[in-house]
Amino acid sequence: MHKKYWMLLVIGLLFASLLVACGGTAPAPVADAPAEVAEPAEVEAPAEPAEVEAPAEPAEVEAPAEPAEVEAPAEAAEGPVELTYWSMWNENEAQAQVIQSWIEAFEAEHPNISIDAVWNGRQNQTLVRTALESGTKIDFVDQDADPLAGGLMSEGQGYPLDDLLDMPALDEDMPLRDVFTPSVLELFAGQDGTIYQIPYVYNTVQFWYNKGLFEEVGVEPPTTWEEFLAVNDAILEAGYAPLAVESDIAFYQIDFLTYYVARAKGPGFLKAAVEDKTGEMWNDPIFLEAAQATRELWDRGHIPAESVGFLWPAGQQTLGFGESAMELVGSWLPIELADIVEEDFEWGAFNFPTVEGGIGSQDDMQAVLLAFMILNDSENPEEAFEFLRFIMTKENMQQMADAALVGVTREGVQWADAIADGAEAAANANTVMGLSDGAVALYPEFVNNILYVNWRGLFLGELTPEEFVATMAADAADYWAN
Amino acid sequence: MKVSRGFIAAMLLPASLLYLVFFLFPTAQTLYFSFFDFSGLGNDKVFIGLDNFAELVGDDLFLLSMRNTIIILLFGGLLIFALAFMFTALLNSDVRGRRIFRAIIFIPNVIATIALTTLWSYIYNPRFGLLNNALTQLGFEELGKTTWTEPDKIFWAMLVALIWIFVGFYMVLLLAGTDKIPIEYYEAAKLDGASQVQMFFRITVPMLWDVITVAVVMWSIAALKIFEFPFAFTSLEPVPETYTSAVYLYVMGFGQRTPIYRLGYASAIGVWMLITVIIVIVFLRRALTREAVQY
Repeated sequence: MHKKYWMLLVIGLLFASLLVACGGTAPAPVADAPAEVAEPAEVEAPAEPAEVEAPAEPAEVEAPAEPAEVEAPAEAAEGPVELTYWSMWNENEAQAQVIQSWIEAFEAEHPNISIDAVWNGRQNQTLVRTALESGTKIDFVDQDADPLAGGLMSEGQGYPLDDLLDMPALDEDMPLRDVFTPSVLELFAGQDGTIYQIPYVYNTVQFWYNKGLFEEVGVEPPTTWEEFLAVNDAILEAGYAPLAVESDIAFYQIDFLTYYVARAKGPGFLKAAVEDKTGEMWNDPIFLEAAQATRELWDRGHIPAESVGFLWPAGQQTLGFGESAMELVGSWLPIELADIVEEDFEWGAFNFPTVEGGIGSQDDMQAVLLAFMILNDSENPEEAFEFLRFIMTKENMQQMADAALVGVTREGVQWADAIADGAEAAANANTVMGLSDGAVALYPEFVNNILYVNWRGLFLGELTPEEFVATMAADAADYWAN
Repeated sequence: MKVSRGFIAAMLLPASLLYLVFFLFPTAQTLYFSFFDFSGLGNDKVFIGLDNFAELVGDDLFLLSMRNTIIILLFGGLLIFALAFMFTALLNSDVRGRRIFRAIIFIPNVIATIALTTLWSYIYNPRFGLLNNALTQLGFEELGKTTWTEPDKIFWAMLVALIWIFVGFYMVLLLAGTDKIPIEYYEAAKLDGASQVQMFFRITVPMLWDVITVAVVMWSIAALKIFEFPFAFTSLEPVPETYTSAVYLYVMGFGQRTPIYRLGYASAIGVWMLITVIIVIVFLRRALTREAVQY
């Protein structure tokens, strides 16, 4: 009998745990399926270079609950308010220290508001997601804008900011939305144009190069693909490796494809190919051309053969040591190499060159933005936004630019000397693209498991250009069919 | 002294509750999630039955990760135990500095994984790596030009590092077992003219059988859920060539830089891993069960 009782008890507990697992609150709205692309039309480049366009199609976002009526934070916050901020930075990083100083200054100005910062590092979004599931209250977070758009934002966790962005900036007589570098605010807006993210760090993806080495070889930054190849030949002849690459970072390698296609067909074409449910768009000759052009860089020795085994940061270190000339990467590179380059090392950056017959502009820019997002469940979104309004002053943005040596999203702020070319490129950008032409934010699984895998295969010589195109077409069709 | 059943039950209750809360409940929850299309946020779950499991069968990356895991389990395990036995035999001989050698071989187990991955990425660096420089110095100039971390070699390069790490742990387990074998057995065998090899297979292995069984089971569990080193081996993000089942589970369920967030699918991978572990352990327990050896 006793045995039976024990068995019953164990079975009962197991059932109870299953019931607990099945339980929960009312279901949230179902995520929209990705929009079908009926006709993958070519995307034309902007006619006027100065015109700034909202680039890739906005990310799809679940409809959040109706936001509360916007009140001025000072009026809304009558009693003490405690905000919780989960950060993508580690506490000892320069960016974290700047944000901590912002928090202290903000708290001094708003004695009734305190901000508790949790420094999680780069896995922040993953930790936030788990914490939200367990009921932890978090008011705002920050992360790379692309994964944030494809992650928490697409899950309906972002608080809509459009009304709040109409509030005046704290240091200029204009709405806050107008102080941002053009188009960065809209880059990751929802499908209906709603803005959920406040980008504050702006990384430009360009060829970052050793100016001294270019001068020594006697070459100038190229503007066309032919010039680019000629510059690489000259550098190679002078005894240097023209290009540094990492073999293990797919999101660096994919920049060659993103830019080549954008220069040939205009921004939006790569994203349209990703969205093509038939996979047929991958048979467009531009993908074969981009693959062949990239492999040619290896075949001509512009990328040293040994790079096929470089694990980050082995590739970029060759640039820091003066053995290679440039790397296609974000504007964080000069900071990452600051400890190993010579004191007189001069950084330059140039945009990916144009390709023959292409309709894309050389000014079109792939940006890697870092952004804050107020969470939809925040009990104090206006106070959280007040903090974000506070950090967007020129003074605060300049502090970030100076202390962390990063680009920022506030117009009129001077970037550090090492990334001055990045600032100029950001200011001149016609169209700003998200990672992989915006596909990372919209279709992360496709990008990670198909595009990155196959492009890496091509990039490192495991696939021929023809195999790459055929595999992409087949895998894309399979992916969407399933 | 007779202890009442109530007292026994009361003593077992805390551990049972912990087991229930931290193992049985998450396991049941994982099984439950595996039947859903679920991102892990909110309660937006769509019941899809066994679709996640059906998808696993045709998922090339999952199959690759399983292949890698099985190679680590079988081939890696074979080499680890071969080396662990070899070191055990060597250290049980009259070699001087036994404790120092034992400590040196065990050291990787007390170093943080991230430090080990950094160390190995420098060892394999194609330009100034320790391995290629050593090979070149030894006269193997062609071999010294090998890029050990290129796509078709990186898994094997990682496997070597894993073997290096785990050999020390299993060697210490085996050494602890050999320490308990009475020295008289070896002395008697010597008098009878037994060789070192004969003594190893006729005395050491049979007397160590229980330890070997436990060690093999421990390795199997560790290999089937191995995560840290493969995840960190390639610095910023794992590459498909080094995916293990646990790494792929993490990529699909929790995201790396790309927020895939398919917790339902990741749960199916977890269930698959659990089933694999159970099958392997049951098989091993049956295969390795022998009558206790007594002399």
